[in-house]
Amino acid sequence: MRIERRKKKGSGGEALRGFKNYFTDFGSAVKNGDLGTKASLLVMGAGFLARKQIIKGILVTLVELMYFLAFALYSVPYLSKFGTLGTVKMEQSFDPITMQQTTNDYDNSFLILIHSMISLFLLVVFVMYYIHNMKAVYEVQKNAQAGKHVNSFREDLRDMLGKKFHVTLLTLPSIGVVMMNILPILVLVAIAFTNYDQSHMPPASLFTWVGFENFKALFSSGGMTITFGYAFGKVLSWTLIWAVFATFTNFIGGILLAVLINSKGVKFPKMWRSLFVVAIAVPQFVTLILVRNFFRDDGIVNTLCANAGITDFLKNIGLLGANMNYIPFLTSKGWANVMIILINIWVGVPYQMLIATGVLMNAPLDQVESARIDGASSSQVFWKITIPYILVVQGPALITDFVRNINNFNVIYLLTQDVYTTTDQMLANSNAKEVDLLVTWLFRLTNEYYNYKMASVIGIIVFIICVVFTLVSYSRLMAGGREEDYQI
Amino acid sequence: MMDENKNIAESPAKETSSKGIRVVYENRRSMGKKQKNLIGSIFKNGLLTVLTVIWLIPILWLVVTAFSANPGISYTRFFPERWTLANFKRIFFAPDSVLQYGRWFWNTLVIAIFSCAISTAFILMVSYAFSCTRFPGRQGMIRFSMILGMFPGVLSMIAVYFIMKSIGLTNSHIGMIVVYSAGSGLGYLIVKGFMDTIPVSMREAARLEGANELQIFFKVMMPLCKPIVVYQIISSFLAPWSDFVFARLMLNSGISKDWTVAIGLYNMLDKTLIHNNFSAFCAGGLIISLPISVLFVIMQKYYVESVTSGSTKG
Repeated sequence: MRIERRKKKGSGGEALRGFKNYFTDFGSAVKNGDLGTKASLLVMGAGFLARKQIIKGILVTLVELMYFLAFALYSVPYLSKFGTLGTVKMEQSFDPITMQQTTNDYDNSFLILIHSMISLFLLVVFVMYYIHNMKAVYEVQKNAQAGKHVNSFREDLRDMLGKKFHVTLLTLPSIGVVMMNILPILVLVAIAFTNYDQSHMPPASLFTWVGFENFKALFSSGGMTITFGYAFGKVLSWTLIWAVFATFTNFIGGILLAVLINSKGVKFPKMWRSLFVVAIAVPQFVTLILVRNFFRDDGIVNTLCANAGITDFLKNIGLLGANMNYIPFLTSKGWANVMIILINIWVGVPYQMLIATGVLMNAPLDQVESARIDGASSSQVFWKITIPYILVVQGPALITDFVRNINNFNVIYLLTQDVYTTTDQMLANSNAKEVDLLVTWLFRLTNEYYNYKMASVIGIIVFIICVVFTLVSYSRLMAGGREEDYQI
Repeated sequence: MMDENKNIAESPAKETSSKGIRVVYENRRSMGKKQKNLIGSIFKNGLLTVLTVIWLIPILWLVVTAFSANPGISYTRFFPERWTLANFKRIFFAPDSVLQYGRWFWNTLVIAIFSCAISTAFILMVSYAFSCTRFPGRQGMIRFSMILGMFPGVLSMIAVYFIMKSIGLTNSHIGMIVVYSAGSGLGYLIVKGFMDTIPVSMREAARLEGANELQIFFKVMMPLCKPIVVYQIISSFLAPWSDFVFARLMLNSGISKDWTVAIGLYNMLDKTLIHNNFSAFCAGGLIISLPISVLFVIMQKYYVESVTSGSTKG
């Protein structure tokens, strides 16, 4: 591990050097290239044609032509409006001659934004390809000058299954990742700087750039109407409380359960493990919806509690208001927050139990043995050896779990959507609830209120929180350098 | 090994104490220990029984309510008053404007099969490229994909929705397949980890015999990677069945024929419908849980192995 870390440290400089080389190589290709190579600056395939790589030369030139055509016909119309995101509002007028509604040639801000992002992305890709092409042409020139073999087109094709197989393999998945991950992130970031919301919905109306207005709105509160700052504070703090509790209760619960099942004197450990697995094998949207109906205000648990006198008891000790004749498990704040964490234990502990079981099986038996010989009791062994071992092995997973819990949409949404209503008017003004995580808030803003601008801002904030948390805790965890203790 | 150590540790005691006393002492100690062990065992098994009951109550409720003759929720009884199979008959043979279980099942199945095929192929391709081939920029791509992976999918979902909307793929099953499978190349870590453990000599030998990389991919690596391929196929097949959020966002037209099982079952329990549909919901939930549980249990073994091996490697 330590060696790897050193490597990583070195890689920063390495990356910088690689970046520099990327351009100096291009420069030397331009400077040292002969006529054919230099002609490739203009007609990209020229260098290949000069080397009698006819098909390749034609194909590369065709790609260039197609890009220029696409740039002129597709990119330019959108990019020219990118600065304003459109100026012509949609207007409908009745045409008395054709007896039809006609619509003017309006601008759609949203399409302008998204296609501009795609155009910019294509531009970057093309520039990279252009630079790469110059280097390739220069490479061919050098080979030809040195009297080395110059590949025919057939040989180039064969390379796609040989030396360049990675290109064949990575092309499609990369396009997919660009479409599903990179472009959405770029669009999300762009929308955070616009006023795209319910009153600026294309195609009927336009939206435009507003700079950092949305970020300001998120961090400031003004009276009863603009409450995003207030709601953000509340939602963020519950998100963090939830993430801490959800992560640690599951983690500790999972270890305890795994140790319990594996401990001496427990019959049929496999059977117990399978029974817990059954509980998580049923899809979450089934179990969680079921559980939320189980704990309804008029549900079966409340009936049982009332019959057993628990409801009255809670009333007597002041946990329930005097006029309540049911326990508001998922419908009042406080109760709901605690219940969500408890139900999440139900959801998550079996998973952690499975993982902890796997980790325990790889536990350092020799250390346990030598500790036993030195006279350590089994509880000492557990706390001084087993737990530190699990912590070191599971530490990185704990970090990813924490981040996953910050974004744990399913549990919160399925338990509280349509069930929980907030009584806090200031939260309601921002469409937030006491039990919302940042992601569920974001989802509601998008899906129900079309407040895309604020949703994007929240998305960016969550990303920053996750990245900062991950980086800081990884460096802390790795700084300990305790992995070697367990590496054989 | 262990016994030897014990003997060495206990040998001084053996020498100092007389044999008779030692036997009595050991007996008494083992008697006490046995009793203690028995109590401990009863306690542990009892505790496990209680825990298992807690964990299985909702599952049991799902099963029994699926056979309940009362269509709504029972507020007073855990077990149904009268038992029936009508709920199963209803979800399969009596679709109404909301309840289209057969359609949902079919939709989800089609989406799952296609996205499973595409994502498995993508993941295997990326894993092979990153694990078995060497090319400039490989390290950079791996590092970049890690950072990209840190961006939670839930966050970019609105932007994904926008992009799908701009190409007209919302409310379509092709769109769902794209959403589930297009970005799957990023999930290569587990499979790559497995491929990393396969010795290079296997590929070298094939190469010496004149195989190209494509042949090595299919004829050498695929057979060796069978267990992890099975894991990958099952887990990408399961993803659409248990996904809720993307389906909820993308299939928002309100036409029940388009829904997947997850969205359908959720919408069945709308506030106004819950008193008609709760037992049918349980029946539907039970039916899709059966195959998923079986697949999950098969996958579980690989899941634990992959997670633990990944974390111990650091």
